[in-house]
Amino acid sequence: MTADVDTAMAHAAPPLAPGAPSSTRRRWSRLRAAIAVLVTQLAILIVFLAFWEHATPKNSAAAFMFGSPSAIAGFLGQMVRDGSLWRDTSITGMETLLGFFVGNLVGTLIGLSLWYSRFVSRVVEPFVIALGSIPIIALAPIVIIWFGTGLISKVAMSTLSVVIVALVTSYKGAVGVDPDQINLMKTLGASKFQIFRKLVVPASLTDIFAGLKLTVGFALIGAIVGEFMSSSDGLGHAIFKAGSLYVIPKVFAALVVTIALALVLTFLVGKIERLLMPWRHHV
Amino acid sequence: MMAQPSIHATTAATSGGTVPPLVVEHMAKSYDHHGRIVPVIADLSLTLREGEIVSIVGPSGCGKTTLLNTLCGLLVPDTGNIRWHGREVTGQPQNVGYMLQKDLLLPWRTALGNTMLGLEIRGLAAAEAEDRSRALLDQLGLHGFADHYPSTLSGGMRQRVALARTLVNEPDVLLLDEPFAALDFQSKLLLENDMLALVRKGRRSLLLITHDIEEAVSLADRVIVLSKRPTQVKAAYEIELGSDRTDVIALRERPDFSHHVRRIWADLDVVLQ
Repeated sequence: MTADVDTAMAHAAPPLAPGAPSSTRRRWSRLRAAIAVLVTQLAILIVFLAFWEHATPKNSAAAFMFGSPSAIAGFLGQMVRDGSLWRDTSITGMETLLGFFVGNLVGTLIGLSLWYSRFVSRVVEPFVIALGSIPIIALAPIVIIWFGTGLISKVAMSTLSVVIVALVTSYKGAVGVDPDQINLMKTLGASKFQIFRKLVVPASLTDIFAGLKLTVGFALIGAIVGEFMSSSDGLGHAIFKAGSLYVIPKVFAALVVTIALALVLTFLVGKIERLLMPWRHHV
Repeated sequence: MMAQPSIHATTAATSGGTVPPLVVEHMAKSYDHHGRIVPVIADLSLTLREGEIVSIVGPSGCGKTTLLNTLCGLLVPDTGNIRWHGREVTGQPQNVGYMLQKDLLLPWRTALGNTMLGLEIRGLAAAEAEDRSRALLDQLGLHGFADHYPSTLSGGMRQRVALARTLVNEPDVLLLDEPFAALDFQSKLLLENDMLALVRKGRRSLLLITHDIEEAVSLADRVIVLSKRPTQVKAAYEIELGSDRTDVIALRERPDFSHHVRRIWADLDVVLQ
């Protein structure tokens, strides 16, 4: 009996051996798997680009209709040289970030505080659903009338694209907290505000970050739609102008930059998530 | 109120005249299930004396958890009264620790952070809360794991942290609802032993709800058997297994241990369904 108990104790200790050969081997095989995925992704991309390039010879109708990777690269180079790449990207990036920030801040604050009152949340629910069902693009003309054609109207478009999603995801996180956990806080003598601050807010972080990752894209869409409507710069403006002049490779060039911007912003949100929620990456 | 003199008489006889930390008198509780009243607890009275460990066993679905939630002030009984240290309390009783089968550790807090939760809520100075929590984690065999997140701990260790979170507030009374049911046999015995030592040393009273008769007998001074729903007390047994009750593993070897277990088993309305 005592021997059993001793082995149980030994099992209770986690196998901590950072320098052990088995652990390095495991890390190495994980690295190899990651490399294999990356190589396959690159191969798909290269095959796709090569096919595209081959199917669209210079000065052909296909090249006019679909552009070609080399022409797109040429326009990218030109955009770097004339400074429009940096200018358009920074303007759209600024609009997106401001809309993302304001929309998520407002949406999350409202969503979390709705946890406080079952009555208020039931009252506002149909209004939230109604607002959430509006296609944001339909608001663009009004937004431009209200906020003009400058930065503010794009930030407003971006904010509107984000705010309802942020509200709904954070509210869902807050009401999804385990009732047993709330009871535990009560038996420890916690006030409603302590339950909110020490339990509900941190427990909602997972949902809030899922919302953040989703709304990076929405914020960018809002900003670009705003630029489509009326603007003199930004990536949306570049896409719109090149499209109306039938310069298809330039549309693609601006699109590539837009994708790159979206990827960088998503990556940053992921980094912040890892910084703010270290417990999720300690397994 | 009518029953008060008799309660005082029994306590005076058994625990030297002090007011017992918990007295439940003729408690009843029912639920409203789609407009139909479902009685869960019919009539329940029990007394938990100071420093006493009482186990409550009963057939599954007999309202043990309802009883516990009512005692904690999370539910309000329909009739009857609950007195903590002789006084009726509205809302959460003071100095009562509560622990469930689920460890309910907060994943974003380390073992230490989880242990400190109650002290933090009560507004104790951070340094003192940390010292007390670390000392208790050490006593529970978690030295070196204070800064680990729950996701990196085994089930037994997590339940040890949950126990530390309960004990660090120095509750007079502990209410435990099948706290070890999810653990494997060995972790369970070890944790029962450590818990028993800490509870006995602190002279705390413990009400343990369990479906494990062997656990009930090995830990408790008294075992209360509940009937099927609607619940009432069916029988109560004093468990006398010698003066040294700190080693639950040795206790299980005693011949009178299995005698107690068989008697209680016979009392439970266990039927195959």
